[in-house]
Amino acid sequence: MTTIAGADVSKLVIACDAGMGSSVMLASQMRKRLKKYDVAVEHVAVNAIPSDAQVVLCHSGLADRARGTAPQAVVVPFQVFMGDPAFDRVEAAIRDSGTLDG
Amino acid sequence: MDDQLTAAVLTPEGIRFGLRATDKWHAVRQAGALLVELGAVEPAYADAMLERERSVSTYIGAGVAIPHGTDAARVLVRRTALGVLAFPDGVDWDGERVLLCVAIAASGEEHVQVLSGLASVLMEPDQAERLRTTTDPDEVLALLGRAQDDPAHDEQESTA
Repeated sequence: MTTIAGADVSKLVIACDAGMGSSVMLASQMRKRLKKYDVAVEHVAVNAIPSDAQVVLCHSGLADRARGTAPQAVVVPFQVFMGDPAFDRVEAAIRDSGTLDG
Repeated sequence: MDDQLTAAVLTPEGIRFGLRATDKWHAVRQAGALLVELGAVEPAYADAMLERERSVSTYIGAGVAIPHGTDAARVLVRRTALGVLAFPDGVDWDGERVLLCVAIAASGEEHVQVLSGLASVLMEPDQAERLRTTTDPDEVLALLGRAQDDPAHDEQESTA
């Protein structure tokens, strides 16, 4: 279990299996939601998560692989691509400087 | 909005209406065949799309799935391209009903703008309904190629 304060998040990575589909769409949505904050949002394949990723959003089926490639990161899993509460949780933690763990 | 970029990745030829599929695997195979027909991928990419679908469903919500290959199958992509396949009778997708598939073959990042457009459209129920039900390729292109709530674009409009 890793924890990070919302105020310390400067890089959010959206990971999916291939890094060419769902992560692209979700990254565009999260980039809009986090536009006001100084957070870089990237999309990647789950096997290529960069070592400076602080928070990783990925489908729950990929969470274990994400934790394997990015042990330093807080991995936040989600179930559905549209309207999952995990997206609100990440945005709220960054907005209100709460803590994120996963 | 960069019309040229959108046009290069998704063309009217890559948009197919009135299709039928017996199940989601049949739909994914048709998506793969379309990408092969468009010259975007090697035939083996279609198998990788089935493999990808088996690992995690590509259903994204709002009646839309985005079948695509695996990271390893990127080598089978000749050029980044998208296909749109409409199944007006719906396809059972693990209990969800899919009316539209957006097939993805990506070697680079050229498709990001269109997928951002897709994400924006699906967040708006009226636009999502138009995308699912239209039979006009130009309308599909217009919906997916529109400006992405771009602040610079808004400023241009307000100062015009």
